[in-house]
Amino acid sequence: MSAPPVGIIGGGNFGWGLAHAVERAGRQALLWSRRPQRAGTEHIDLVSGPAALAEAELIFFAVPSPYVASIARELGVYLDGGHFLVHISRGVVGDDLHGLTQVLRSETPCRRVGALAGPLVAEALITGAPSGGVVASRFPEVRAAVREAIGGPAVRLYSTDDVTGAEFASTAVGLFATAIGFAQGHGLGPAAQAMLATRAMAEAARIGVALGGKHETFMGLAGFGDLMAAVAGDDRPELAIGRAIAENQPLEEIGSIGGTYFEGLESAGRIAAYTRRVKLYAPVITLCAAAFAREIPAGEAVAALMSREAGEE
Amino acid sequence: MRSFVHRLLTRPLRLPAVLGPKPQPGDPQIFRFNGEREQIIAEVVRRTEQHFAADPKKLLYVLNEAGHAEIRRLAAQGDAEADQALGSWRRLVKRLGKMSDEERAESLRSITRVMAEDIAGNFDPRVYKLATRLVPGVLTAVMNPMGLPTQLLSGGFSQLDALISAEGPLDKLRRLAQKGTLVLVPTHSSNLDSVALGYVLMRENLPPVVYGAGKNLFSNPLISFFMHNLGAYRVDRRVSALLYKEALKTYSCLMIERGYHSLFFPGGTRSRSGMIERRLKLGLAGTAVEAFSRNQSRGLHRPVFFVPATLNYALVLEAETLIEDHLKGAGQARYIIDDDEFSRVDRIYAFMTKLVTLRSALVVRFGDAMDPFCNPVDDEGRSIAPSGQPVDPGSYVSRRGVPSIDPARDAGYTRELGDAIAREYQRETVIIWTQLVAHVLYRYLVWATPELDLFSRQRRRGEVAMPREQLVREVAEARERLLQAEAEGRVHVGPVLRSQSPERIVSEALSAWRDYHTKVVAREVGDDVLIEDPNLLLFYQNRLLPWAEELATEETLAAARSIVNQGGKA
Repeated sequence: MSAPPVGIIGGGNFGWGLAHAVERAGRQALLWSRRPQRAGTEHIDLVSGPAALAEAELIFFAVPSPYVASIARELGVYLDGGHFLVHISRGVVGDDLHGLTQVLRSETPCRRVGALAGPLVAEALITGAPSGGVVASRFPEVRAAVREAIGGPAVRLYSTDDVTGAEFASTAVGLFATAIGFAQGHGLGPAAQAMLATRAMAEAARIGVALGGKHETFMGLAGFGDLMAAVAGDDRPELAIGRAIAENQPLEEIGSIGGTYFEGLESAGRIAAYTRRVKLYAPVITLCAAAFAREIPAGEAVAALMSREAGEE
Repeated sequence: MRSFVHRLLTRPLRLPAVLGPKPQPGDPQIFRFNGEREQIIAEVVRRTEQHFAADPKKLLYVLNEAGHAEIRRLAAQGDAEADQALGSWRRLVKRLGKMSDEERAESLRSITRVMAEDIAGNFDPRVYKLATRLVPGVLTAVMNPMGLPTQLLSGGFSQLDALISAEGPLDKLRRLAQKGTLVLVPTHSSNLDSVALGYVLMRENLPPVVYGAGKNLFSNPLISFFMHNLGAYRVDRRVSALLYKEALKTYSCLMIERGYHSLFFPGGTRSRSGMIERRLKLGLAGTAVEAFSRNQSRGLHRPVFFVPATLNYALVLEAETLIEDHLKGAGQARYIIDDDEFSRVDRIYAFMTKLVTLRSALVVRFGDAMDPFCNPVDDEGRSIAPSGQPVDPGSYVSRRGVPSIDPARDAGYTRELGDAIAREYQRETVIIWTQLVAHVLYRYLVWATPELDLFSRQRRRGEVAMPREQLVREVAEARERLLQAEAEGRVHVGPVLRSQSPERIVSEALSAWRDYHTKVVAREVGDDVLIEDPNLLLFYQNRLLPWAEELATEETLAAARSIVNQGGKA
């Protein structure tokens, strides 16, 4: 039996990157986007609506997190328990910081769901430059299906069943990349940036474990691996957003850098509220949330970060 | 002689099969069990062999593992049963290295057969009919011997009906029982749970269920006779051998595959803390997913319906032992408690005699059924997707349209089911008046001793008194908030708590605890209520943990948060 096509939702860079990776893996891609921006190829079919994606077994969600729920609802009508859904979005929903796999589960009949996390970037997927990431799912079949669909010599994919950890790590990295951009904007050097990254990741891991994730996930590709790629300069918008916040640029200008700002702002607020509620010590995230929301002046946030009492590692 | 008596007392008794009635069309599957028993045991042996014997290394390992685990256990047990079995296990372990693969497979078959025979229950329709008539009488008699003649004359057992109430979509469950296999997954508070559930199913015209009961519960010959002949199968928690666990899993899977309605306590053990179980591993209940997949692979499209249920007691028979065990942090070590109140007739009697004076002393609430993939099901038993359209449950165990058996995939579904059932438990919990009074008193204790940690606080016996008038007022306020949460569909409020005055609720709670528990929980001293046993208060109030913060006022919020944060495992 020939392998079914792979569905992709989202015509942004990431959607196209996944489509090209599918093409390189010798499979057919079905890409659905309201604004596809580019023309299809021999192995990338642009489809006009969600119904056409039912033909696929594996469907990637490559859309910003605020749109995942409504698109999933629209698509869910055409799916059943045989479809696999995998998202690549950063973000948490609700007071209990649920990942987006939870949204996919509640809006569609699909249960075999997962998340793609780690230092995968759209450009590398498009050009075929070496990159990698981690696919998280409770279902080995989903992990294998993602590897088969986009893995290969250019895309090394590791897998984990720690969906909670991978999703939260991915969200946290988005925030920390913004925080590092913010630190850069304030002229803080590599040592201060490294301190910020390391302590922030330790905080994220504590929260992740409280949510039911595994500590080691934060030390892997979904956590540190992804953050290192951001700091090394893979041109993701979060760093630019962080620098813009540090420069006190108007909100609407920051919003135009990338759609991730408002998502990040919302996630930061949610995470900070959660840590207050469950009494988890999370000073870096709390300060980030306050600084991103402009509740405290940028300079004050940097001073507060540096003046925290240093404890045991 | 000793061994004969031992055997008589530990082997469940059965009535001769020759004169037994023939099952009728429309009878639940369990009425056919005796005819299928031998087939089921043979299939357990066949599948277990298939699981281990295909790989010679795995076969040798599993026999060695079983041998060493059993020798260790039996040597420590040191009774007549142990002496008999110990010798044969020692001989097996000695010979294993020299055996051929076929000889090892033969050993595996014969050991599995012994295990499966030990596990397999029995169902005798005559015993079921007898129990249908006897149980209400026996329970009522135990509870209130003086009232029995009057009830017999009046021809009813209304007292027991008032004592145990059943809530939830009962009509729908009766319909679903005709369309597929029910898998009941209730919360677990007491060893009385299965008896009470059995009674409720019978009373509500729901079919009987099979369930795995701890072998320790079979130690009383009379109870053993009824349990065994009503379909309970035996689970010996002392046996840790992989081979035994596989045989047990296979048995449970086969029962569901063949359409036997089943009952599992997915919390595994009684809630030591009194909390609603939050993290469920499902254990044997997970075999229902495999059973569904196996049937689908054979082209048999019989649906499986998971039915969460909560058992909400005003008084818990074993409360004193359970909370003590919880606070010692010994829950796991003492997985099998065989010296608790359930093993003492005087405690059961005291419990029942108190219980009978209460109305709705136990509220059994059934939740809505879901398929093995957490989808709700409609009245016709169809799985319903979030869009409101029916979805084929078979699609979840298929790839590209072909159904398959895949334990790793089913483990993923089982984890999701555990989460979904835990969420249902919270929504389907019925708050009982004793729990609310305990919560308000305990919150006061925490408020009065903010500097103390959990363990120091639990030692404050007879030191903190709450003004009675304040207790009544706070119970009334908390009830209002609970009713609000109920209106939002987040919890249920028990009939007594809903209808009685707060004044009466407080008096009844103090009197219920006083008359049943050996320790004084709280007593009235002048205008105050003196807290005497923080442990039992903690146990009863723990049920309210998920709502503690919203029940609090501004003044009591810090105390409520502190209770929530001291949390702990269910």
